[in-house]
Amino acid sequence: MKALRLPRSPKVLLGLGIFGFFIIMTVIGPWLAPYSPSATNFTPNLTPSAHHLLGTTSLGQDIFSQLLVGARATMVVALLAGLVATVLSVTIGVTAGYLGGFSDDGLSLLSNVFLAIPGLPLLIVIDSYLPVNSRSNSLVIGLVISLTGWAWGARVLRAQTMSLRNRDFVEAARIIGEKRIRIMFSEIAPNLLPILASSLLFTVLYSIGAYVTLAYIGLTSTAVWNWGTMLYWAQSNNAPLSGEWYWFVPPGICIALVGTSLALLNFGIDEFINPRLRDAGLTSRQRRSLGLPRRIRLGLTPVLRPAIAKKISPSPAKLVGQ
Amino acid sequence: MSAERLEAPPLVDERSRSDSLVSPLPARSDFVLDVSNFSVVYGTGEHMVRAVNDISFTLRRSAVLGVAGESGSGKSTLVYAMTRLLRAPGLISGGVVNLNTTRSGDAGEETVNLVTASEKELRKIRWSHVSIVLQSALSALNPVLRVGRDFDEVLKTHRPDMTRAQRRERAAELVSSVGLNEDRLDRFPHELSGGQRQRIMIALALALDPELVIMDEPTTALDVVTQREIMNELQDLRARFDFAMIFITHDLSLLVEIADEIVVMYAGSIVERARANELYEAPRHPYTLGLLNSFPPMHGQRRELTGIPGSPPDLADLPTGCKFHSRCPYAMTRCRDEEPPLTSLGDSERSVACWLHVGGPGVSVPVELSRDATTKDRAHANGERP
Amino acid sequence: MSETLNQPTSTPVQLSARHLTRHFTTRIPGRFMKAKHVVRAVDDVSLDLVAGHVTAVVGESGSGKSVLARMLARIVKPTSGELDLEGTPIAVGARRTLDYASKVQLVLQDPFASNNPVHHVRHSLERALLLHGATKGTVDELARAALTRVSLEPPDRFLDSYPHELSGGQLQRVSIARALCVRPSVLLADEPISMLDVSVRLGVLNLLKGLCDNEQLALLYITHDIASARYLADETIVMYAGQIVERSISTALVDEPTHPYTQLLIASVPNPADPTSQAREKAEHTTFAVADVGCRFAPRCPYAMDVCRTSDPPDFTVGEGHTSRCWLHASEPEAVSEVAPPERRREGETTKT
Repeated sequence: MKALRLPRSPKVLLGLGIFGFFIIMTVIGPWLAPYSPSATNFTPNLTPSAHHLLGTTSLGQDIFSQLLVGARATMVVALLAGLVATVLSVTIGVTAGYLGGFSDDGLSLLSNVFLAIPGLPLLIVIDSYLPVNSRSNSLVIGLVISLTGWAWGARVLRAQTMSLRNRDFVEAARIIGEKRIRIMFSEIAPNLLPILASSLLFTVLYSIGAYVTLAYIGLTSTAVWNWGTMLYWAQSNNAPLSGEWYWFVPPGICIALVGTSLALLNFGIDEFINPRLRDAGLTSRQRRSLGLPRRIRLGLTPVLRPAIAKKISPSPAKLVGQ
Repeated sequence: MSAERLEAPPLVDERSRSDSLVSPLPARSDFVLDVSNFSVVYGTGEHMVRAVNDISFTLRRSAVLGVAGESGSGKSTLVYAMTRLLRAPGLISGGVVNLNTTRSGDAGEETVNLVTASEKELRKIRWSHVSIVLQSALSALNPVLRVGRDFDEVLKTHRPDMTRAQRRERAAELVSSVGLNEDRLDRFPHELSGGQRQRIMIALALALDPELVIMDEPTTALDVVTQREIMNELQDLRARFDFAMIFITHDLSLLVEIADEIVVMYAGSIVERARANELYEAPRHPYTLGLLNSFPPMHGQRRELTGIPGSPPDLADLPTGCKFHSRCPYAMTRCRDEEPPLTSLGDSERSVACWLHVGGPGVSVPVELSRDATTKDRAHANGERP
Repeated sequence: MSETLNQPTSTPVQLSARHLTRHFTTRIPGRFMKAKHVVRAVDDVSLDLVAGHVTAVVGESGSGKSVLARMLARIVKPTSGELDLEGTPIAVGARRTLDYASKVQLVLQDPFASNNPVHHVRHSLERALLLHGATKGTVDELARAALTRVSLEPPDRFLDSYPHELSGGQLQRVSIARALCVRPSVLLADEPISMLDVSVRLGVLNLLKGLCDNEQLALLYITHDIASARYLADETIVMYAGQIVERSISTALVDEPTHPYTQLLIASVPNPADPTSQAREKAEHTTFAVADVGCRFAPRCPYAMDVCRTSDPPDFTVGEGHTSRCWLHASEPEAVSEVAPPERRREGETTKT
């Protein structure tokens, strides 16, 4: 890939900004936290104040500290699960799509089974078989979530691989004697990059949802702070009924913001990866400076006003001798 | 009304049509399309690319104008922009495209400038006065509709007074006029061969009896035998329906057969314009000569030809001066600095943009590019190129 | 049927194919049970590719010429037939080996599609080199040399280019360079110029010709353009519906075609120099049609006789090294019936049986 240029679209910039904010929170959040999230030595049920920015829980814990500390586990599990699920879906999808035949039948069956079984119940079943001490391990939880999240991406990548496998450049690689594994992962896979990136974003999104849900229904260790456990404690202490909004609204907003930023980033993927796409079309600023209508209709090529045309393109040689 | 016209084949005398071409300026009613100083750009600012530069030509009624050019010559951009079908970031940066929409029976004159026409006017003009046949018929036809439906839609839109039965009858008539059986109307595009699809496209283009049909490489994707059949079919159709035609292709030898007049385009500009047979017999521009010598001959001794060195022009990175000079075996110092204007050569109606011909005293025209050149001279010139 | 051209015994036959056949089975839509239809894409084709010698295969789309090239490159398996590389018989059912790839290379038609859009030129050349014996230290130099061989100079300008930055002619040269990187003895070129601009076609043809002459490559040139076959090839083979219908020295074939299909092909070429020779006879809809019984060209043939509709003609020798698969050239009097060979019939002849 050549030098990446910064995207121009405001949507993508906003997405990058939000996502970057949460990444920073993941890295330094626990250090910034003013108190230990588990310490119960404060007055319970305080409303937000200068000492406790988001108040305290009914057990006397600092909510702001929980939010900052919880970011790390949430994001790490989500990113890990997203990454592993994407690797799984590329391996399985591209292999099935390229090899065809029995391998395709087998791998397709596998991904169809995973697609057909509802993810969350499966997750709950697998999770309940885990030894209790591994439930506090982010790595294990991440792997379990990735197991339920790869199938959709594999289906999409398989379909795309099937359309690429008969392309001439794949045949050309076969002609020079390239091995199958290299054709799949060095010739075909880079062409799937836009789909891959988009699939990564959505599996990360799915993983956040899955992890928070597991924590919310109390299936992960309550010793590990994440946004889901915060919601779990808020729910079990009747925070919504007693009007303690500062307990459950902040983690909810954080989850929503991360999700929004991932969705916004997805808009930028094509723009980011395919440089030729960026040059097509005129930006609205260009249209304004040229005195063109805001929307350019299909089947009605715009015409520059003579004054502007003269300015941007001084007419070259004139017809002579006629 | 159109059905009547379809049956009356006013066979145009070849000679009289050719003669009308030579007249210096057409009478007003004589032209069907008059383009002057037409320019098109892509994008703006530092990435702006000039795709069509200051092009002028006149197409007379029932005549065939051939546009020859390779990739990057702007030939397709020209016709898409002319009909205002070019997509963003294409922009028309100047010029006039006058279309004569006077039908043969009409009293008075009516012309429309397509560059300033509104969307409503354009919608009325397209198909009924100007129609386009594209290279890839498969992508132009709707894959989920039987081809009969395409005819039905066109006729329904532009001839609302026709009944369903009349439309079907007209479609059958059109399809049989391009040498296909009527039952093809009930087929889907993928069930037809490439040649049959292209015939369907031609029949569709003629559905509303237009004065001008634009053909953008209609036979490039076809086999040579099918191409021959379609070219023959086109000659017959023109004799019957008497439409003018702009025929775009990279195959100059095909153009010489079908066109009355040919313009050769290079990097967005016309480099040579001439009557078809004159262009073939005595090309004046080195590029035209090179193109003609790029087709291996079908008879005679086998000898090495060289074609044209270098690569087709990259519009985003054009050389200064004459755009062809970096590939031209006759290039002089002047060609690097100054762009030659398209200049009339005085004999008949032909012009060329080359300093060899308008360079003034001190510049001698190589024999193979002069008016007295024989075919042998030109063939020889090619063999000797460095 | 395997009377291929008598090659001078001194020039080695690099790749020889005998009775290559490829059938495809398709289902006829709408019919249940016996819904199988066999398409004979290539039927009993034999040819020899000789070092330093260009063989052209000419045909329309659907003639089986591309399938033939892919069988010779062994990326399509033949239904039956034999291949023989430098005197060693190849088991046609066996897997294609790297060794075979290093001897026989194929250049594809569309230069834009056959170069991976995400890799630069260096990548494709280096992969070919590394697969076939080059070491990491030498690849860079060898890649430059390969680009120089196909006249892409200076090579540094092209090594780090992406396919979308190059023109069609340049990309096709890159494809040829990639094929040459494996140092093959046989080069198969499947319509290498049909997607290129007119002005650069001759350059690519001359490049191929030069490789053939200077490096003793055996070249198979597949095309639909009979004029370019005449220009480039020593021997030309015309295919129709999977069969070889005529073969001869290229100039002889174009100057004196004996098979009605070859004549149709030649007459269809735009030829402004000689407008009278064009196939002006009204096309009575010669859609690509193939007979299941008898001569496959019979449905389109203006000279078709009864015998053509019932039995498949063998190859008849009509001149030195010139064969024609047409009953018109049968020497037995009963087969000829009263019809004269077409080249004599054509003059002033307008009606047909």
